[in-house]
Amino acid sequence: MEFLKNPSYDFLGKTKILLAVSTALILSGVAYISSHGLHYGVEFSGGTQLIARFQSRPEVDKVRSAVDSVTKGSTIQTYDDPSKNQVLIRLPHTGGTEGDLSGSAQAVLQALKDKYGENPVVESSTEIVGPVVGAELRRKALQLTVWGLLFQLIYIAFRFGGAVWGFAATVAVFHDVLITLGLLDIFGFEITLNVIAALLTLVGYSVNDTIVIFDRVRENLKHRRKEPLAKIINDSVNQTLSRTVISSGTTFLTVLGLYLFGGEVLRGFGFTMVVGIIIGTYSTIYIAAPIVVWWDQYRKRQRTPTARAAL
Amino acid sequence: MPPALQNPFLLWLVLSVALAVLCYFGVRKELRLRGTLYGAFILACLVAMWPPYEKDDKPGKIHLGLDLKGGIHLVLQVVTDDALNATIDDAVSTARAQATAKGIAFAGAKRVDASSFVVEGVEPARVKDVRDILKDFFRSPEWDVHEQGDGRFLVKMTDSFVNQVRDRTVKEAIRTLERRVNQLGVAEPVIAQHGAKNDQILVQLPGVTDVEQAKRVISTTAQLSLKLVEDSAGTRESLLDKTQGKVPDNMDVVQGQGREAGQPEFYLVRKEAVITGRDLKNARAGVDPQTNAPDVQFTLNPGGAEKFKRETGRNIGRRLAIILDGSVASAPNINSQIGAEGVITGRFTAQEADELAKILRAGALPATLKYLQELTVGASLGRDSIRQGVIAAGMGMAFLAVFMLLYYRLSGLNAIIALSANILILLGCMAYFGATLTLPGIAGIILTVGVGVDTNVLVFERIREELRNGKTVKAAINNGFDRVWITILDTHATALIAAAFLFQFGTGPVKGFAVTLVMGLIANIFASYFVSRFIFEWVLGKRQAATLSI
Repeated sequence: MEFLKNPSYDFLGKTKILLAVSTALILSGVAYISSHGLHYGVEFSGGTQLIARFQSRPEVDKVRSAVDSVTKGSTIQTYDDPSKNQVLIRLPHTGGTEGDLSGSAQAVLQALKDKYGENPVVESSTEIVGPVVGAELRRKALQLTVWGLLFQLIYIAFRFGGAVWGFAATVAVFHDVLITLGLLDIFGFEITLNVIAALLTLVGYSVNDTIVIFDRVRENLKHRRKEPLAKIINDSVNQTLSRTVISSGTTFLTVLGLYLFGGEVLRGFGFTMVVGIIIGTYSTIYIAAPIVVWWDQYRKRQRTPTARAAL
Repeated sequence: MPPALQNPFLLWLVLSVALAVLCYFGVRKELRLRGTLYGAFILACLVAMWPPYEKDDKPGKIHLGLDLKGGIHLVLQVVTDDALNATIDDAVSTARAQATAKGIAFAGAKRVDASSFVVEGVEPARVKDVRDILKDFFRSPEWDVHEQGDGRFLVKMTDSFVNQVRDRTVKEAIRTLERRVNQLGVAEPVIAQHGAKNDQILVQLPGVTDVEQAKRVISTTAQLSLKLVEDSAGTRESLLDKTQGKVPDNMDVVQGQGREAGQPEFYLVRKEAVITGRDLKNARAGVDPQTNAPDVQFTLNPGGAEKFKRETGRNIGRRLAIILDGSVASAPNINSQIGAEGVITGRFTAQEADELAKILRAGALPATLKYLQELTVGASLGRDSIRQGVIAAGMGMAFLAVFMLLYYRLSGLNAIIALSANILILLGCMAYFGATLTLPGIAGIILTVGVGVDTNVLVFERIREELRNGKTVKAAINNGFDRVWITILDTHATALIAAAFLFQFGTGPVKGFAVTLVMGLIANIFASYFVSRFIFEWVLGKRQAATLSI
């Protein structure tokens, strides 16, 4: 079986239209985030989150009135598959001291026992994060992402013998992360540690995809020096297209399985990867490759036509 | 299975030899060594990971993280300023005592902040004496003495000394917590230094769900009691032989160190303690003059001394168990009546003796602990996560296998073998290195599979391309693998860079993800590149196949 035999699409010809699409996506994501803010998971925002499993199907109203007797303003929602009888309770910041972190969680469980005794909590998981830890983690996540990107940029620049390759791959990655973050926010996903892990994986994936095509360009450049770079890049994209489609397609379907069947904890992770793989594959062709081409054309206009060899 | 094969190493050896024999007869000469080595490595991974999960009460080889097993995760802040304050307070009283001994009067010696104190109002005539005392007792590199004129001295701890005290405090707190957590009987607890400034402690207690009990145990003070021993034996059963297996009402059974290191000993002791930590006035580390072994010497307050004198006088020749945090540290004989002063002997190192003395003195941890983060996961919620993760992973892999078979036919089978080897190696390495599998770790395995397929697809597509360009099967395979090698190296290197930074998150699920990803990437190069290539060469090489099922 073979899907794509000797494809010869003009990918780079449509760059300008798709660039407009990308820009629109990024801008709307950024606009949404700046108006609504990112939803941070409890590990980043600090606070208390409880997942309680009840003996039978819980009535959210009764749970809410029990929780309200302890503290007002909590978020209460059914968690995961309804048949699991689980409720997620997010308590607001109480501003209490760090010495007594679990006080409110214990109080809520006690209140549920007292006021909703007919349907007891069989098991619960709690996550309580002091504000210091949350802030430290946010800072660390940002720092590590930036460092990770920087080192990848250096590696690629070194391997391909030119900063523009690393720069192009990095711009593509930023593009992917921004769009994915925007979509995560629009679809109401929380930024949890798992999502950060997925974002970093997506960074790795996007770079991986870019390298496969860049490698092919490098290989083609060796014996086709006289042709314009734009054509070589377009050919390279076509030559690797079948790999790109199959590889992205299979990975896409596995992470789609993760999103659909992995349960509530992995849902955010799965969503990030599902979106990320599509965007990451697309950005190689329409972000990373054109940057290299533009740089090449810019250099040609600036200097002699043979400057490309030194790229 | 014969008992000899219960030993994993022997089992592996036998299997590998069998494999070598098979290779010798079944594989061409130039491939024999490679085949045996690859096979032996995969077999080693298989042996290392088997059985992967708990079955029939045999523990599984793959460690499960808190999110899968259920348990408690705590991050505690050690308020190291407490220990600095105590050091300065000690220093102030030393300075004052020395000055008083020499008949020097000064208006004041007091703490300025956590790491310095001042001596003020020294008479001009005695400034030199005070200077000598301070210089003598507070030397560099630990202290700096600044003379500020007008009979005023500022004594500061140096930065390196401050850091040293802070670090020591955290380490002491960790050792104390370890001792206390041991009482909970948790399997595989983690108690480690943590945080950007290394002044936090991470406590992970897999399988424990009662946070309140765990926190109670962690925050109790060191409990000392001395109780009379009725009997002792190597096992609980033999200890209770005489009493028909029952513990008498006024007795307790306490476990502790036996006479041989590493051997447990069970003691039947009276419930009522002769003295407890409350009767203690002071404790300090010392050395037994006869054996030169480190010990802890203690002084009792008057009430305690009276009790101790009475009881030891009555029970000469019997043994007295020294019980610390619920475990017998030692059980020496009472050789004579003991009054206000006693000695705790045991198998201590000098440092342990010093630490024990400190705990007994302070009756608590070296510094206050603050809770920064608390995470508990119910056991069945964890089991749910495993089930769903495994279902998602299983579905993904089944789908991939079917697709690869349809799309690449027999070469797809090659990819499936490589993928299976990939997962085996990943799990084997995780078991061998004791890495923890978390829920994101399962996602990491799925991604590993994805990356593995990508490697195979890269190679296969290249081989197809070479075949289209009219190359022979053998040349196409060789070119395919050779050309793709650089790409695979680059993609794996960048992915490893990303994983290395993920690893820096330090704890919990994300670290588990990074670990599986790193091991998966390395396993992948081996399986999807080398093993897959070997299979091609083995199946097709000899007879110069004219066609390739791809």
